[in-house]
Order: sequence, then C-alpha cells, then structure tokens
Amino acid sequence: MSRWRRSVDELTAGRRRQQAECERAQNALSRVTSCFQQLAASLGSSADSSFLREEMDETRVLAHRICSGLSRRLLRLLSACDSAPVAVDDRHASERLWVLFLSAVEYFLSDLRRAKELIGQFPLTQRSSRRSLVNTGCTDGPVGLAARVALVQIPWLVLEEEPSPDLTNHIAGLEAQLGELQQRVPVAFWSVESTQPAWAEVLNNAEDPEESLEDLMEVEVASSGDGSTKLPACCRGTCCWVG
Amino acid sequence: MTIRTARPNRGQRFRPRTHCLKKLDAIVVEMQDPKNGVKGSEQKLNVTTIPHAIAGANIIAWISNKMKTTTEEAQVFGTMLVAYGYIYPLQNHRKLVMCNDSSLYRFQTPYFWPTQQWVPEDSDYAIYLAKRNIRKKGMLEPYEQVDYNHLHEWLNHKWDFIVMQATEQYKAGRDRNKADRVVFDCQERAFWIVNRPPRRTHSALDVGPERLINPNVEEKITFDQYRRVNIFYQQAIMRSKVKSSVSLGALVKYITSYKNHDAFLAPCLPSNPWETDHDAYWTLNMRRVDVPTKMRVERWSFSLFELLTDLRGRDDFKVFLKKEFSGENLAFWEAAEELKWGTASSMSAKAETIFKTFLAPGAPRWINIDGRTMGLTVKGLEHPHRYVLEAAQTHVFMLMKKDTFFRYLKSPTYKEIQKKALSPEAHNFSPAQLEENARNRSAGIHPIILWQQEEEEKAKAAAASAPVDVKAVMSKIDRKK
Repeated sequence: MSRWRRSVDELTAGRRRQQAECERAQNALSRVTSCFQQLAASLGSSADSSFLREEMDETRVLAHRICSGLSRRLLRLLSACDSAPVAVDDRHASERLWVLFLSAVEYFLSDLRRAKELIGQFPLTQRSSRRSLVNTGCTDGPVGLAARVALVQIPWLVLEEEPSPDLTNHIAGLEAQLGELQQRVPVAFWSVESTQPAWAEVLNNAEDPEESLEDLMEVEVASSGDGSTKLPACCRGTCCWVG
Repeated sequence: MTIRTARPNRGQRFRPRTHCLKKLDAIVVEMQDPKNGVKGSEQKLNVTTIPHAIAGANIIAWISNKMKTTTEEAQVFGTMLVAYGYIYPLQNHRKLVMCNDSSLYRFQTPYFWPTQQWVPEDSDYAIYLAKRNIRKKGMLEPYEQVDYNHLHEWLNHKWDFIVMQATEQYKAGRDRNKADRVVFDCQERAFWIVNRPPRRTHSALDVGPERLINPNVEEKITFDQYRRVNIFYQQAIMRSKVKSSVSLGALVKYITSYKNHDAFLAPCLPSNPWETDHDAYWTLNMRRVDVPTKMRVERWSFSLFELLTDLRGRDDFKVFLKKEFSGENLAFWEAAEELKWGTASSMSAKAETIFKTFLAPGAPRWINIDGRTMGLTVKGLEHPHRYVLEAAQTHVFMLMKKDTFFRYLKSPTYKEIQKKALSPEAHNFSPAQLEENARNRSAGIHPIILWQQEEEEKAKAAAASAPVDVKAVMSKIDRKK
C-alpha cells in the first residue's frame, strides 16, 4: 500500500517538476518573442541594418528551439495526464500551460509573417537601398536586446541540438505544427481561467519609478515672470488626464 | 489560441480602397529620399532630442509639388496619410489631421503600417493595454478602461499569456536608450489610436460592416448567368421608355424641394443628435407632439404621400376632414393599410368589417368609387387576401390627392398649424458641453411605454369615432330647421 502511495507521490512530484520547467520555458519564450518584436519594429526604419537582421535571425532561431522543446514536453505531459489517473488541479494546470503555449506560438507566428513581409519590402542588398528607409527617429538599433536574449537559460537548449530553419521554412513549419497540435490534443481552451485578476499587473511591476510617455514628452518653456512652466510637447494634456 | 467564427473574416482587408495602400507605401518611401524628400528637423524634449520631426507645412508643400495639385488637395491627401497611420502627429496625438502650419509630425515605422494582410487583433490590443497599464500605473483613459475590462472578460483564457507578454515587452523596451524608447512608445500609441480610435477621432481604417464576397478575387461568370443577363436586357428594351429630359426634370424637382430637409446637406435643427449627442431633435419630432416643427409642416405640403406617412400629419388631416365630413376616404385608406400590414389570422375578420362599413350598398361610411373597381373588389372579397383592396385603395388615394389635399393646404386648419409650428434655435455646443452630452446619454423612452400610449390613443379614437351615421346627422340638421 505504502509502496503504491509512494509511487503515486513520485509521479505527482515528477509532473509538478515538469510543469514548473514548462512555466519557466514559457516565460523565456515570452522574453524572446518580445525581443524579436522590438527588433522587427525597427525593420525598414532608419535604425535598420544588416547587424539588426542578424540579431533578429539569432533571436528567431532561439525561439524556434524553445518552441520545439516546449511542445514536445507539453505533449508528453498531456498524454501522461490522459493515461494515468491525475488530480483535477494537475490537469487544469497542464491545460492552462497548453493554451498559453499555443497563444504564444500564434502571436509569434503573426510577428514572423510581418517580419518576412517587411524584409521583402525593404531589402538591404545594395548601398542605395538605405535611401528608402523610413526616417522614424530611431537612430541605433536595439543594443541591449542581445544581452537580454543571451540571459535566457533553458535546460534543453544545450542538450538538444537541431538544425535551425530559415525564415520561410520556419513560418511554414510553425503553421503546420500549430494545426497539428490543435488537432491532436482536445483541450477546451475556453475552460481555462486566468490566475490573475484584472488590473493586477500594475502591482507586480510597481517597483520602478518609470516616467510615463506624457512626462517624457514635456518641454520646458520659460515664461516671462516667475520661473518656468512645464508645457507638454504633446497635446495640452487635458485629454490625457481626463477620467 | 484565438476563438474564431466559422464564417471567414472578410472585414477590413477586403475593402477595395485598401488597394491604395501599396501606392501609399511607395509615396511614403519616396518622401524619405535624402535629396528630394521632405526636410526634417529635430524635436527638442526635456530629456533628449529626437531627430526626424517634420513640419506639416513642409509635407504639404512636398505633396503639392510632387503631385502638381493645389494646396487644399495636398492638405486633404496629407490628412489621409495621417488617418491611415503612415504619419503621426507629435502634438495633439488624438486628432488625425494634417495642419498646414509648423505643427510637427513623424513617419511611422513600417512594422506599424496598415496592410491588407494583417489585421491587428484583439489579443494584440490586449497586450498593448496591459503594457500601458503597467507603464501608467493604472491610470488609463476611460475608453481604454472599458476596452480593458471587456477584453479581460472575453480573452480570459489567454489572459496569463497576455500579462506575461506585456511584462516582457515592457522590460525589453526599457533596455533601449531613452530617445529610442520615447519614439517606440509614440509609434505604438499612434498605431493603436488609428486602429482602435477613441471617441471623435476619425481614422481611415474604420470601415463598417463586413463584406460577404472578396472583391480581390476574379469571378468567372457562368453560362447560366449570361443567359439570365440576356433575358433581363431583352425585357428592358421592350419596356416603355421615358425621355431623359422628363425623368431628369422630375429628379431636379425632387431635389429642389427636399434639399433643405436632408440632414446630410442642410444642418438639422436644433442639432443632429448623432453628432452632438443631444436628442432635442427627436423629442421635438415625436409621434404625438402637440406642436410640430416648421420643417415637418413644410414637408407635409410636398405631397399627399408625405402627409399620410407622417402620422402626426395624418392626425392633422383627419381633423380637417372631420370638419368637412368627408372622413370616409381616409378611414377606408387606413383600413386597407391595416389589412395589408396586419396578421394573417385577422384578415378575414377585417375584410368583413371593411365590407360592411365601406363597400356594401347603404353602408354607414360608403365610399364613392367607380363601378368597375367596386365590382372587382366585391368579387375579390369572397376570397380575401392581403391585397384585395389594392385597386380601391389606389382609387381613393387618387381622389384624396386630386381634390381634398389641395383644399387642405388652403384650409384654415393647415394655415393655423403652420403659424403655430415652432422653429427651434440651432445649438452651439462647446467641446466641453459635447463631452457632457456624451456622458448624459440616456436610453430614451421604453418601447413598452410608447406601445401602451398608442393602445390608449387607439381605444379613445375607436370610442370617439363610432361610424358617423349620415342619416343621424341629416336628421339632426333637419331637427334644427
């Protein structure tokens, strides 16, 4: 009896460990995709360069590896849930991770498509093509993002080495994978509930005194008499502070 | 995962005018040329200086030079560029117009350009709102708060992903230098103002209901369609024709009489409720108002059809006819309308009452229609259907139009109501008052209350106008003698 209970406990502990690993991987995937989005937002603008595109490629490859590893592990987790008897909470947690992973893949896929279109529209092959880049006000590319991406540590990145696809194949592969994943695992995604209430993210990130965009866009105007009044370079500020 | 409907989403992407986006891309790229493009300057802020700020006047001058048009057209073109989201204003970011002065603008990065292929989804908007929430520490604008709550409810299954992605994007944004951070934030904010516009911001991507067909797809016309088209055109050739001078004359006459009453062409008095959120216009023009407005009374004089379709006008006409003792025509016309529009179960009963009241020889409210029509109608009433009284109704309508209507227009009843009619003053709201009006919008009168009022009025009318017995009236007059 006790041996059976011990094995069940081991199984549960193992599953929890796997779920925690998948959570961390999901966070890492979010980080990498947001870095990718920052890079993609500079495509075609004055901050575009071949260096930026190489960075983008590296980020994309990293995201691909995280995605494939995570999908394999989640599939294993969910099929284990199907075969062995599992507590309802565990199953809910696995389903939640599944839904979050699929949402992240969809989001990343739309970013990839947009990036591919932009690279096609603004090829940097000749020197003259730099003339057609849009003057958006960004001068240098995102420098700190490379460091951020490098900080991502996932166990299987070192262990499993795979050939990295180029952009078109990556998109096609992801689309196929998404379709296949949605069909293989019958998860009712509308039954997943979020663990955070609305407006909670403000409290989680309240540590840093970050100035709002309106503050940053203020311009000091020296008035005639007493001191200087802060004049927003933005609109008069009335509409922004209503409500 | 996104919940998608089974019907393919053919919204904004398939509007034909988004074909212009490729050409707009090319023009915006041309504006970037260091030699022949638009000259930029710098924007000085408290914390840093950002290059590539352009004055509206420079853009408009470049456009009118390049496209060889007038300044007004160039300004309209510039406004369209801003409304589509290719250029965003730096001051006054909510008003998407191009001003021909020194107000500053900047080009939007191609990632945020509008395209036919990529529609910004609700989950993207949710991530943006969550990010903005973090940055502004909960102080979102009212319309953003409403959207946030709505999305939190509908995207609850992926809300954790949304918050996670928003936090990561926020942190990734902070790694850049200050100037770039300001620029990226401006770009993103401008993008979402164009795609999810706040109230009274007019963005060009607001396109209305969906299309069921894709206008970009070439459709092959089948043999059967050609056959039907041929039959249609052959029949059209055989129809009797009206000279274009005649039909155009009729159109001109219609336009001249109605042009002051069109809310798009002439200002609506006191103010158009759709523009100013003030419903005085609707309350003044309700069904059972005592004193109608001057515009309404003028409209009654255009034709009998206008008079009868406006129920308030019909009431007035009834008052006039009562004085003339010739109300049976209108009563018959109304009864025929009721038969046409009523329920199928009540049709035979209604047909019976109509026959007894109006058509039978010696009926109390006998109408005077010619013999042929009377014969047709009576025969049809043996097997009544919805349109048995159509011929008689048309005849009665013509009688009223040719005779009673003109007498009505010259009558003291109409002249009195013309004098009494009120002409409200035009409203002149300041922007603060407009905001106030928008906040005070109420749901209006409940339809059940209106229906109850109608029922009461109908009961009163039925009681009051029991069939006027001609014989009784005649005997009263005899007795007076």
